[in-house]
Amino acid sequence: MALLQISEPGQTPEPHQRKRAVGIDLGTTNSLVATVRSGSAEAIAAEDGSVILPSAVHYGENAVTVGAAARSRAGEDPYNTLLSVKRLMGRGIADVKSFGDQLPYKFAQDGSGDAADSGMPAIETVAGAVNPVQVSAEILKELARRGREALGGELDGAVITVPAYFDDAQRQATKDAAQLAGLKVLRLLNEPTAAAVAYGLDQSDESVDAADKIIAVYDLGGGTFDISILRLSRGVFEVLSTGGDTALGGDDFDCAIAGWMAGQAGLGTNLDVATQRALLNSACEAKESLSGQEQAALGYGDWSGTLDRSAMAELLDPLIDKTLRACKRALRDAELSVDDVQEVVLVGGSTRTLRVRERVAQFFGRAPHADIDPDQVVAIGAALQADVLVGNKSRDDLLLLDVIPLSLGIETMGGLAEKLIARNTTIPVSKAQEFTTFKDGQTAMAIHVVQGERELVKDCRSLARFELRGIPPMVAGAAHIRVTFQVDADGLLSVTAMEKSSGVSADISVKPSYGLQDKDIARMLQESYAHAQEDIAARALREAQLEAERALESLLAALQENGAELLDERELTALERAMEGLQLAHNGGDAEEIRKRIDALNQLSEPFAARRMDASIKRAMQGHTLDEFDND
Amino acid sequence: MSLQQTYFEIFGLKPAFAVDRAALANRYRELQREFHPDKYASRSDREQLLAMQYAAHINEAHTTLRDPVLRAGYLLKLAGVEVRPEQTTADVEFLMQQMLLRERLEEVPTETDPAAALEELGEEVQGLFSGEQRHFAEVFAAGDLAAAKDSLLKLQFLVKLQRQVEELEEDLLGDY
Repeated sequence: MALLQISEPGQTPEPHQRKRAVGIDLGTTNSLVATVRSGSAEAIAAEDGSVILPSAVHYGENAVTVGAAARSRAGEDPYNTLLSVKRLMGRGIADVKSFGDQLPYKFAQDGSGDAADSGMPAIETVAGAVNPVQVSAEILKELARRGREALGGELDGAVITVPAYFDDAQRQATKDAAQLAGLKVLRLLNEPTAAAVAYGLDQSDESVDAADKIIAVYDLGGGTFDISILRLSRGVFEVLSTGGDTALGGDDFDCAIAGWMAGQAGLGTNLDVATQRALLNSACEAKESLSGQEQAALGYGDWSGTLDRSAMAELLDPLIDKTLRACKRALRDAELSVDDVQEVVLVGGSTRTLRVRERVAQFFGRAPHADIDPDQVVAIGAALQADVLVGNKSRDDLLLLDVIPLSLGIETMGGLAEKLIARNTTIPVSKAQEFTTFKDGQTAMAIHVVQGERELVKDCRSLARFELRGIPPMVAGAAHIRVTFQVDADGLLSVTAMEKSSGVSADISVKPSYGLQDKDIARMLQESYAHAQEDIAARALREAQLEAERALESLLAALQENGAELLDERELTALERAMEGLQLAHNGGDAEEIRKRIDALNQLSEPFAARRMDASIKRAMQGHTLDEFDND
Repeated sequence: MSLQQTYFEIFGLKPAFAVDRAALANRYRELQREFHPDKYASRSDREQLLAMQYAAHINEAHTTLRDPVLRAGYLLKLAGVEVRPEQTTADVEFLMQQMLLRERLEEVPTETDPAAALEELGEEVQGLFSGEQRHFAEVFAAGDLAAAKDSLLKLQFLVKLQRQVEELEEDLLGDY
C-alpha cells in the first residue's frame, strides 16, 4: 500500500523509534529532570555531574544565569536573583503582598504592563520586569537543554510535576511556563502520584499482579505539605483522595526552633530581618544535624545552648500533628481507615527530619519507604509516566487516575459559592449547569468561577470570570443556558456554553484572575526570542515541522492499525494525498504552509478519528454481557 | 460504550440498588484503560478530545453508581420519577426524629466528653442511613416508586446530617 511508504528515511521518524521524553520536577528550591533509558528511570546530570538544579535565576544586564551560579549571587545581588519563584506561580499581587518581608524583590507597584493585564506580579530587575511564569520558563529551558544533550535531540514531550494541592491558576501558570520554554507538555502530574509511581513500579513484578494495594504518600517540602491516598491495582494507580496545606513545611520547623532560640536568648519578639535570618539559619543547621546526632549546639551573639532530639520533638510535634490531621481527613475522604494502608511513601526534603519519620511510622503503624532519594523520586516517577505517554510502550500497563484537589464552584446570590465539582472527584470530569436570564431581552451574563472548600466566595480562590454573550433576546426566564465546566486530565478547567432552545453557542470570554492570556504568552515568546537573539522564523519553522511529524506519524500508525477496515478506497486516497501534501510542505520549509496543511489533514481525518473511537468502544464492550456481571 | 447507554449498561450491571462494588471497580479500571486521555496522548487532537469526553462520562457514571444516594436518584430518574431539590418527605415522624438528631448535634460541643458524644451520634446516624438504604432497595425492587421516592428524600436528609457530623468532627479536631 502506497501510504506505508510515505515516510522517507530520515524525514519523519520511524513509528517504532524510541521517543525522547523527560520527567521534570519543577521545585520551589530545587528542580531536576529525569528520563527512562534502557528500561530504568534515572535523573539526568549536568556537565559537571550535578543532578539537582537550584531553582534560581539571576538577571544580569546582558545575560540570564540559572542554577547554582545564579543562587550564589543572591547575597551580593538580591534584587536580581530570583529564588523560590514557584511560590508566586498563579498568584495575584494581593497574595504576594501577604507574603510580606519573606521576599526581597521589588514588585512593579502600580500594576503597569503585565501586572495590569493579568493581576500577576511583575518583579523589577536590571533586565526589565519579569513575571514568575517567565522566571520558571528559564529554569525549564535549562532542564530541557540537559534533556536534549543527554538524549541527543529535540524532546518529543515532557511530564511536569505540580503539588497535588495546586489550584487551576497555579497549574495553568506552570503549563504557560513550559510553553514559553518550548516544551510540549504531555501531562501535568501531581507530585505525590509521581512518587507513588516511582515506588510502585520499582518493586518486583509480583506486586503488579498482586491484589489491590493502598499507598499513602506523605510529601513534606520546604513550604508545602501534600498527602495522597492511592490504590494500586495491576498497574492502575487510582488516587482516592488528596489533601494538604500549602503553607506548612520544613520552613515552619525552622521558625519554631528559631522562636525557641529567641526565647532562650531573651531576644524578645520584635526582631530585625538580619537577626531573624541568622536565627533561622542556625535553627535549620541544628535541625539537619539532629538527623544524625543526638544533640546540636546552637548560638546567637553571646547566647549559646544545646537542643536535643526530644526538645526538638516538642517544638515540632504541633506542626507534625497538623499534617497527621490532614492524613486522617484524606483517609476519611477515601473511605478507608489507617489499617487499610499497606505502603507509606515519604517524599520531600523535610521528611529527612527523624521526628517526622517517627510520627508518620507511628500514625500508619508501619515503617515508611524512603529508599529512593526523596529529592529525586518525583522526577523519576514523572519520567516513567512521560515514557508511557510519548508512546514508548515499555510500561503499557501503567495508568494514572488522578483527582481534582479542590472543589470547583460558581458564585451565586449573596456571595455564596455553589459547588459544581467536589474535591477528590476523578479527572477528567465535566459538569453541566443550567442558568436562565432574569431580565427581558437579556443577552449577556457573567459567571464567576471559584475554587475551594469554603462557603463564601471571598474565602475561596477566584479562578476566572466568564462572560456569556450572544444569548438570543427572550423574556426573562425563557432562555436556558447550559454551561459545561470541563476539567481535563491536567486538572485544568475549560468552559463552554449553549442556549438550549435555539442551540446557539454563547461566546465566552475568559479572564483568568491571576493568569496570562494567549496574547500575553505570544508577546513573551517574541520577547524571549529577542533576548536570546534566536531566529524567530527558524524556530517557528522547526516547531511547525515537529508538529507535522507528530501529525503524520500518529495518523500513519492509526492507518496501519485499522485504516483498511474503517475507511473506503476514496477516503483512504484522500487522506494519502493530504499526507503527501503535508510531507512535501514539511520538506519545503514554509511554516505557514505547513500549518495550513496540518489543519487540512486534521479536518479530513476527523471522521476517521471518530470511527476509531467507536471501534475502541466496541472492543471495550466485547465479551461483556449483562449476565457476566450479574450479582445477587 | 456509548454516551446514550445508561450508566448501568456501561458498567454491565443490572439496574438495581444493590451493586457489586468489586465488579464496579474492576469494570471501571478496564474502561479507563481503554478511554483515559493518557492512552491517546500521542494521537490526534480530535481523538484526544473524544477520549477526554468518554473518560469524563465514565467517571460520572462511576461516581453515580458508587454513591448510594446518587445511585438511588439515578434509578428513579431512569424510571421516570423526577425529584426536585425543593421537595421533602411528608413523614412527620421522620422529620421529628431529624429535628431531635440535629438538636443533639448542636449540643455535642457542650457535652462533658464531646468526642464520645459525637461518636455515639455518628454511629446512630450511620445505622439509620444503612437501614434506609435497605428500605429503598426493597421498595424499589418491588416496583413501589412512590415509596422509593420518599425513601430517597429521607436518604438525602440523612446524608446531609452525616456530613454535618463529619464537619463537626473536623472542627473538634481543630482543623481549618
